[in-house]
Amino acid sequence: MTIRVLGISGSPHRHGNTETLLDSFLEGAASAGATTEKVVLKELTYTPCRGCNACHKTGECVLKDDLIPLFGKILDADCVALASPIYSMGITAELKGLIDRAQYLWARKFIIKDLYFSSEHIKRHKGLFISTAGLSWDNVFDAAFPAITAFFNGTGFEYYDNIIANNMDAFGGVRKHPTALKEAYDKGRAVVGVLESLQRAEKGVLPASS
Amino acid sequence: MPVKILAFAGSPRRHGNSETLLDWVLEAMGEDPQVSIEKIALSDADIHPCRGCNACEKLNACVQRDGMDAVHDKIIEADGIVISAPIFCMGINAQTKALIDRAQVFRSRKYVLKLPVVPPERKGKRLGVFLATAGQNWPHVFDAAIPSVKCFYHVVDIRDADISYLMINGVDEKGAILNHPAAKADAERLGHSTITELKKRLAG
Repeated sequence: MTIRVLGISGSPHRHGNTETLLDSFLEGAASAGATTEKVVLKELTYTPCRGCNACHKTGECVLKDDLIPLFGKILDADCVALASPIYSMGITAELKGLIDRAQYLWARKFIIKDLYFSSEHIKRHKGLFISTAGLSWDNVFDAAFPAITAFFNGTGFEYYDNIIANNMDAFGGVRKHPTALKEAYDKGRAVVGVLESLQRAEKGVLPASS
Repeated sequence: MPVKILAFAGSPRRHGNSETLLDWVLEAMGEDPQVSIEKIALSDADIHPCRGCNACEKLNACVQRDGMDAVHDKIIEADGIVISAPIFCMGINAQTKALIDRAQVFRSRKYVLKLPVVPPERKGKRLGVFLATAGQNWPHVFDAAIPSVKCFYHVVDIRDADISYLMINGVDEKGAILNHPAAKADAERLGHSTITELKKRLAG
């Protein structure tokens, strides 16, 4: 079956460094035969989590907005790439808004217990984090990782890899970065190959390469 | 001397654990008649996320017209700024992150336009307080929130050493903090000590 790759851009800035890096990743994935889709959070209408905990009783979010179908796409994808620039040492409010809304899945897993991702499922679903930062600091992405980890844990994806590039202000943008765009393209190709071999292994056609 | 406190209740849940913690701090601060306090609930404040347009690097102002217009001047005028937020998914909640990211206008003023954020005589006389609550019991549950909070205070001329923290983990359901053995006393102590320190600095 064709590998489905979903890219989610959490940048408010259209076609900036982070979205360009995501585009390169998706092009790589498409070149390896995947079907790809990009969702730009800025174009959607949604509200951050209200912390009402109603989902702890019902397993559903009381907010009926554009994130409901997006969560459907996320759960249908084989690979999800979450992309956000670093603002104030963290991910954007837009992406954090999406991540916080995954609370209903947490509730389904741990309170209602009608949702379970097997280790096989998690292995066959890969999540990546794509990010750029203006600052050169090595630790500029560190505070972003825990929320990304929480999101992929909640949605049944293995947090597979990062495609991150700092020091954008000095490089003058991701297009002038020596390796970032090629790395993103190559990783897009590679993850599709890994997912295909896992699918084949599951069908007993070939042993998984890894 | 008068002391101005500006407080943000960052949680979308009104009067939940993080706002209760904030209220304890503010009540202790307010025991001093010279202290004036304004509390803003971000759920009512209509502060949108930063658009990343970088126009503030040229305009010295944000292009968005929303609740931040009223908040901007209050941030400059306050002697003490208190932020309270819940931890959602291992990070600061999205509404509070939106406020922090909108402080980009101060960062542009300070580092790009090289203009003062507060008058030079007020530097070192402002204090920050960060209050947080988390449902998780993990000791590292607050770690990813702190760098963003430091960014906010840094760009509004509140130094790292002038930020105090009170973060309570293991409180999830509404009201859980009421049963915490130490949170209320710690919050009151923090409220008193912050005012004492502010008055000392403002007098100096």
